[in-house]
Amino acid sequence: MAAVTLSGIEKSFGPTHVIKGVDITIADGEFAVFVGPSGCGKSTLLRIIAGLDDPSGGNIRIGEQVVNDLPPKERGVSMVFQTYALYPHMTVEANMGFGLMIAGESQTTIAGKVAAAARMLGLGELLARLPRQLSGGQRQRVAMGRAMVRDPQVFLFDEPLSNLDAKLRVQMRTEIRSLHQRLKTTSIYVTHDQIEAMTMADRIVVLRDGRVEQMGSPAELYDRPCNTFVAGFIGSPAMNLIAAHVDLTWAIVDFGGEVGLADDLRTAPGQRLTLGLRPEHLRVLPADAPGIPCVVEVLEFSGADTLISCAPLDAGKATAVGSNQIQALVHDRLAVKVGERISLGIAPELVHVFDAASGERL
Amino acid sequence: MNAKLKKLADRALLGLCVLLLVSPAISVFLWMLSLAFKNDVDNLAYPPVFIPHPPTFNNFKVVFASGPFFQYLINSLVVSGCATLTALLVGVPAGYGIARMKARKLMMTILIARMTPAISFLIPLFTLFQLLGLTGTLTAVVITHLVITVPITVYIVAGYFETLPHELEEAAYVDGCSPWQRFRYIALPLARPGITVAAILAFIFSWNNFIFGAVLAGRETRTLPVAIYNVLTFEQIAWGPLAAAALLVTLPVLLLTLFIQKEIVGGLTAGGVKGG
Amino acid sequence: MSLRKTSPFLWFILPAVLVITAVIVFPWAFTLWMSLFEWKIGHKAVFAGLGNYTELMGNRRFLESVAHTLIFTALAVAAPLVLGTAAALVFNQKFFMRGFLRGAFVLPMMATPVAIALIWTMMFHPQQGVLNYLLSLLGVGPSEWVYSPRLAIACLVMVDVWQWTPLVMLIVLGGLASLPADPFEAAHMEGASRWQTLRYVTLPLLMPFIMVAAVVRLIDALKTFDTIYVITQGGPGTASETINLYLYLQAFSFYQIGKASAVVVVFFVLVVALSYLLFWLREKSKYYE
Repeated sequence: MAAVTLSGIEKSFGPTHVIKGVDITIADGEFAVFVGPSGCGKSTLLRIIAGLDDPSGGNIRIGEQVVNDLPPKERGVSMVFQTYALYPHMTVEANMGFGLMIAGESQTTIAGKVAAAARMLGLGELLARLPRQLSGGQRQRVAMGRAMVRDPQVFLFDEPLSNLDAKLRVQMRTEIRSLHQRLKTTSIYVTHDQIEAMTMADRIVVLRDGRVEQMGSPAELYDRPCNTFVAGFIGSPAMNLIAAHVDLTWAIVDFGGEVGLADDLRTAPGQRLTLGLRPEHLRVLPADAPGIPCVVEVLEFSGADTLISCAPLDAGKATAVGSNQIQALVHDRLAVKVGERISLGIAPELVHVFDAASGERL
Repeated sequence: MNAKLKKLADRALLGLCVLLLVSPAISVFLWMLSLAFKNDVDNLAYPPVFIPHPPTFNNFKVVFASGPFFQYLINSLVVSGCATLTALLVGVPAGYGIARMKARKLMMTILIARMTPAISFLIPLFTLFQLLGLTGTLTAVVITHLVITVPITVYIVAGYFETLPHELEEAAYVDGCSPWQRFRYIALPLARPGITVAAILAFIFSWNNFIFGAVLAGRETRTLPVAIYNVLTFEQIAWGPLAAAALLVTLPVLLLTLFIQKEIVGGLTAGGVKGG
Repeated sequence: MSLRKTSPFLWFILPAVLVITAVIVFPWAFTLWMSLFEWKIGHKAVFAGLGNYTELMGNRRFLESVAHTLIFTALAVAAPLVLGTAAALVFNQKFFMRGFLRGAFVLPMMATPVAIALIWTMMFHPQQGVLNYLLSLLGVGPSEWVYSPRLAIACLVMVDVWQWTPLVMLIVLGGLASLPADPFEAAHMEGASRWQTLRYVTLPLLMPFIMVAAVVRLIDALKTFDTIYVITQGGPGTASETINLYLYLQAFSFYQIGKASAVVVVFFVLVVALSYLLFWLREKSKYYE
């Protein structure tokens, strides 16, 4: 059980500068998720913490100790790999006990610890099987069991669920989360899937291009994303990011129409903005109501919700940052039809406002 | 500091292992070169002289003078060339057919061919050729060499075709191609690397073969390996010419190997690893 | 691919089937047939039933050749397996000029066996040979090498090992390269030392490939002819006469086709039996589908 502190971590592979100065503190017992698009450096960071790669600069502290020069075994970390990395020629029991065996523990100790972990993970019946005889989810659990058995200070997870099908993924998410609640071991979890991040994390670290964009609890990141990248990354379906400019207390939207701004916002007259409107916050209003007028293009009905994709009335208008549509998510069964004209409205306090040039929150 | 020192020691150990492994391999060839280019005095000297001073081409002259060396060279080229060519004509389509039909049983038969010692084919074939009066002819030798070239060609080519994705040919099938057209226009061009490797290996193994020629060839129709063996038995042990002859026989094969070693390695390991 | 009643691919394999029938199947059938006869070339063939076989079972020279073959094969399979695996582990590391050095290491197995055997013969020479010279540098007395009945087989094994270790290395190296990387990373994470990784992870995972190499080596070792024929001719006396050499003598020195055919059949049974043993061992070592 320990806190993990990264100070000033840099990493270059030859001429490629992958990690560009990262400072992260993870508290003892916290479940932290590193999330970001491919190539942002999250897996590299994890491997640096694990000791599989060395940083080009900066320090890693586990607990009070600087572990830069320590091999993985002595850092007190255990890792669950994306591809599980089970030893194909060993039984489940041997797989889970391998680390203990080479550390010289006695047979009885090993058997006891393995049995305990197997019980916790529901693997009791499978101890004599070989990895090739197991399903994906079972292999996942063996990988976790192997990590658990060594009773580490920090658990590291490298995209462990990406090889599972969707349904299994949802199930395993819950299991990992409940396991964390039981064991309370500090965990660092890497994923590219922001839903996993949101549902599992105590603290999320959003990474892009080797730098930390924002750190905080899921609620913080959802309610107050600090820039357009985090705003567009967190939340599903993705936040609508549209271009606008300031006119008194209104934002005149390039797409068409206007959106009310909150009172405490500090903007300059005529300033170019990027507005962040979450699909779930947009309300569908009659075509003549104040808001953003548009035309319904696609309706995606998924049982509980309907995702409405709308196009601008004037097709020639330069619209959103990167997309020609605004999406709204509604929970009620509305009588909207494709081709119908509607207006989209939103409460001013739910509008995220970013400076169009810098992308920073205002 | 400790880590750096350890790394250095590791590299040194690795270097030593590489040296220990590669030097016996190369030394014999270097010795062959040394023997071939030394004159008689140096060759009979003890302790042995390693670097000839001066190096001489005399031994090679003796080799060429002692027998129709070029005739033997031509024989080897004809035999191995024909055997390889025939193996390609027959073996490449067969490899394709086996790969697509997944006829593992047929592969087993071919493997059995590989498992039997050469002499087992030789005895009946020899008897047959005797009856037909074909002993001593190049034709007989070529036919027996097919025992070497066809199985290995089929084996490597079949393995290669198996790795080609089916989708390309299935698309052609949907477009209306006959099996022959699929083979000729799609599979064949894609399999060129595998076919090249098979051809080279077949040629090399045929070139190296001694026993078929030893039994079936006459004085005029000997292949090179047989010819140099006879140099040993019928002449006094003149080491220089002997080494020179050995060098000449094996040089083409060695050069082929060096130039195409990567592909050969690939071809051999693919065959070896895939179900042995 | 859809197979209609008779697969169209049948035509593709037909020419090869014809060739193989002619040069492999037919001779085989002929051999089996001939083994039941007493037939010396130039004389009439006399039916002898299983007479040839019973004679072989009591033939001292033949039985000795079987013993020689087994000893030679055991050594010529075991040594290259160990050395070849070690070589594969070495060549799996990256180092300066690795590609070129690997090419050099591979040369022995591609060279013409007869040519190489001639060079080795010269190297083995007790007075002029370079091997005894090297021994003297180490302070060891000269050896008789292949001229000693005790040492002949060992020397031949040495040549075989020199020549064929590269093949084992290539097969095992191919296996090494195909192994997944992450069990090794996991082992590193769990703190396994290099030796522990080798013993508990690398070698077990390599076993199927080592077994493939063993089968290939077994078959090739049993078939060895050129090197033995050139270097010792089966001597001194019959000290290094393997079944193959004995066979050659029977067929092409004594022209005893009937007896030779019987030897071929017995030999083949031996080859198949040993191969099956190794195949079975290989199946046991497989941990994947």
